[in-house]
Amino acid sequence: MTDEKEFILQLLNPKTQDLAFQKLLSDYQKPLYSHIRNIVLNHDDADDVLQNTFVKVFQYLKNFKGESKLFSWMYRIATNEALTFLNQKAKLSGITSQDLQNKTIDNLKADAYFDGNEIQIKLQKAIVSLPEKQQLVFKMKYFEELKYEEISEILGTSVGALKASYHHAVKKIEIYITTN
Amino acid sequence: MKTFKLENEPKIATGFKTPEDYFDNFSAKVLQQINEKEVKVIPLYKRKKVLTMAAAAAVFIGLMIPVVNNYNATSKDLDEATLENYLAYQSNLNQYDLIQNLDTNDIQKLNKNVAIEDETLEDILSSSPNIEHLISE
Repeated sequence: MTDEKEFILQLLNPKTQDLAFQKLLSDYQKPLYSHIRNIVLNHDDADDVLQNTFVKVFQYLKNFKGESKLFSWMYRIATNEALTFLNQKAKLSGITSQDLQNKTIDNLKADAYFDGNEIQIKLQKAIVSLPEKQQLVFKMKYFEELKYEEISEILGTSVGALKASYHHAVKKIEIYITTN
Repeated sequence: MKTFKLENEPKIATGFKTPEDYFDNFSAKVLQQINEKEVKVIPLYKRKKVLTMAAAAAVFIGLMIPVVNNYNATSKDLDEATLENYLAYQSNLNQYDLIQNLDTNDIQKLNKNVAIEDETLEDILSSSPNIEHLISE
């Protein structure tokens, strides 16, 4: 924790800022990319959102109070950016966010940056049929393998509620895949 | 049909891939964006444009105030005048209808009006040829 405080000071000090931000980028770009990609599904969109996320992180660093961990703060920004992006994109196309995700999944087979089989596509379709919060919890737990404690810090939901959400999500996904 | 159980299956990966050396170039891309943003933090012309537009909007709203006020005022006046004219010249109301619609408040008001005009009353009485007849009554 003291390391993190020190690191935040380095991020805020103009002399050490550049190096510290470089480190932040290299530490977090991959996990945040996966997190965003799991929400927006295609690579180009994930690339856009990830860039925006880091630009926002840089802009808001001076307001970062250290009340939460840098890790969960950045994940929170990434989650918000990705969800906002999805909603805006859906609005522009005049369809619901769920329809948009379904369409994106249909296009995945032709996506150069997707290498998956039927079951993977079916799983994605099953996930899209869930409520937004359950989708997030499932993706963060199953794909990203984050701990409940970490997810709890990011989403501001109690561990108990998260476990229930994940349990519901798994049940619904199993029913979806069995019947489809 | 076999029931699908997530925990019985081998872990299903997302299947999401990234272009090769995507992450090698990513930080450079972000840093470039940040630097660009920092350079053009407050482009002067944009600020001026906003100021000009704000000023124009303020002047326009200012000019609209009397117009809006007048519009409301005239529309009200017009209503009352029209109503009066209509009642006076167009309607089938006669004296008795009007009297029937008077309530105690209206009658008290009328009384007061008469009381105030004592002097006029005197004038009328003194100049009236029938005054003696009236007094004697």
